[in-house]
Amino acid sequence: MKILEHEAKAVFFTYGIPVPKRVLLRNPGELSGRMGELGDEFVLKAQVDVGGRGKAGGILMADRATGLQLAGELFTKTIKGVPVREVLAEERLEIMKEYYLSISVDRSTRHALILFSEAGGIDIEALARDQPGAVRRASIPVLMHDVPPFMLRDLVGAAPKEVGGIINGLFHAFCEKDALLAEINPLVNTPSGLYAADAKLIIDDNALARQGITQNRDLTDREREAGRHGFSYVELSGDIGVIGNGAGLTMATLDLIEYYDGRAANFLDVGGGADQERVMHAVRLVARDPSVKVIVVNLLGGITRCDEVARGIISAAVSQPVIVRLAGTNEEEGRDILAGSGYRMMDSMEEAVKAAVGSVQ
Amino acid sequence: MIYADRHTGIIVTGATGKQGVFHIPLMNEYARQCGGRGVVAGVTPGKAGQEVDGVPVYSSVRDALREHDAGVSVIFVPSSAAADSIMESASAGLSLAVAITEHIPVHDSMKAIAFARLHDCAVIGPNCPGLLSPGEIKLGIMPVHLSCRGNIGVISRSGTLTYEIVDQLTRAGLGQSTVVGIGGDPVIGQTFTDVLSRFEDDPQTRAVVIIGEVGGALEEEAAKATDLPIAAYIAGVSAPPEKRMGHAGAIVEGGEGDARSKIARLKNMGVPVASRPSEVPRLIRELL
Repeated sequence: MKILEHEAKAVFFTYGIPVPKRVLLRNPGELSGRMGELGDEFVLKAQVDVGGRGKAGGILMADRATGLQLAGELFTKTIKGVPVREVLAEERLEIMKEYYLSISVDRSTRHALILFSEAGGIDIEALARDQPGAVRRASIPVLMHDVPPFMLRDLVGAAPKEVGGIINGLFHAFCEKDALLAEINPLVNTPSGLYAADAKLIIDDNALARQGITQNRDLTDREREAGRHGFSYVELSGDIGVIGNGAGLTMATLDLIEYYDGRAANFLDVGGGADQERVMHAVRLVARDPSVKVIVVNLLGGITRCDEVARGIISAAVSQPVIVRLAGTNEEEGRDILAGSGYRMMDSMEEAVKAAVGSVQ
Repeated sequence: MIYADRHTGIIVTGATGKQGVFHIPLMNEYARQCGGRGVVAGVTPGKAGQEVDGVPVYSSVRDALREHDAGVSVIFVPSSAAADSIMESASAGLSLAVAITEHIPVHDSMKAIAFARLHDCAVIGPNCPGLLSPGEIKLGIMPVHLSCRGNIGVISRSGTLTYEIVDQLTRAGLGQSTVVGIGGDPVIGQTFTDVLSRFEDDPQTRAVVIIGEVGGALEEEAAKATDLPIAAYIAGVSAPPEKRMGHAGAIVEGGEGDARSKIARLKNMGVPVASRPSEVPRLIRELL
């Protein structure tokens, strides 16, 4: 889950990373008594989780004379479809130089990957592609307590040596906060020292509970409801509802629908060990989407038991036709249960998908 | 076959939990069919003295190894303690830990895998169905009736999609040497590259199917590093960017790891890529 800029800055601050003086506003009026904390000129930043926030009008330069009016305007805006509910007012920094710094999970090495560049405020992926020499990188096992000094020297190069302390602080934050990504872009140098001018932190969804985060804001209401039942659900724009067990098989079912020129309405993985009740909720959830005209259930039993699945499909009792492909653990039992209730059974996922696509065309 | 054979003794951790109780008898039944040793001991802290399917349960992997000869562990421990179980297996001297458990925090996986490497213990998974060498041994939860013994290696980030493709291979008369589910998480122990290097040393294996999906670049890295004939299927061509498609690792981020560019890169390296699962047997037959 991505956390918002002001939350990420609060986290980074506790790890010794300097951040600008700032005030979080929940309405424009809150600014009136607090402009003195920010200096004569400051920046108003909409706290919305969208890329390209600045270009979309979510960041405004203000001063004591214009602050209240501009804050009022920002609170009425919608940035790329997201209404502005919080605004971060920050002192304006006198920027001499911008840097890029991030720590992420490296799938290849299974370690943390530190990236530092003396070209900041940029698209790091494009820079790494076009000028690989401009991005310095270091791979560090998360078993380490600190980033070793040689690694900091290699990363920092000719940049101010205080960057080393910031890298080490960010590494501590990355490890202790279960981050998938901790990024400062840009890290800026000013006459009064270095500051994290922006901050991005993505927390591992599997660690939200132990990080004390109770609700994953990245999900829509329906996706969150799906999560409560124990399955992964992604809304798409077609008319064929899809339920599978296992992410790979469910994805392959969607791909096969596209291959046969159909359009899937959703991705729903009931997960391993799905029982009767969860399958029933899955079928009902998919059927509740008004654009769904037919539902394909494609299940191969490994950890999932087909007999429980069959009972779940029947007890859902939805109005749309359900085309079922079932194979695996307790397969015969599952098939018998479904056949007894008149459901359409197919022998392969290819046949099931073809039948579903055919029925909506 | 790779990693283990019928002579390998298996320890199951999380033996007395729901998954352990369900899958220990299935692993043992397969061992009986193959003339193998099967599960020799279970481990659940505080449950020493109990039995599951006639298998004695101990409180630690070390205690189990004092009484039984075993080389691998299969981990069904819940996500909050699964990384600990991987490290316990490695520390006790096992050469392989197969972590079935889903939803392990990524930082726990990174630590456990790094720790296991210090003890020369390979980790398969987490969030995987395990390994099946038809006629030899089953480590984990794969259904056995879809497979048959042969010369094709299978490596997959998925569970059920693996069973689907194994079923297609079997129906086409293409038996398997070993089927390895390496797991759907962003951080996993054995990667496509690691498993391929084992297959290279395995005289039984003549060609390998790689079943990949959106996210990361592990499929391409492996294809670059091997001399074995390989064919691939990549799931997620229709996956929208920035959306996590079930697996924590199946996400297109920063314009990287999408299925179409992955498929294009594999094809550029000369790897045949199936456009649907049912095409895999034909592509494999053309490699033999």
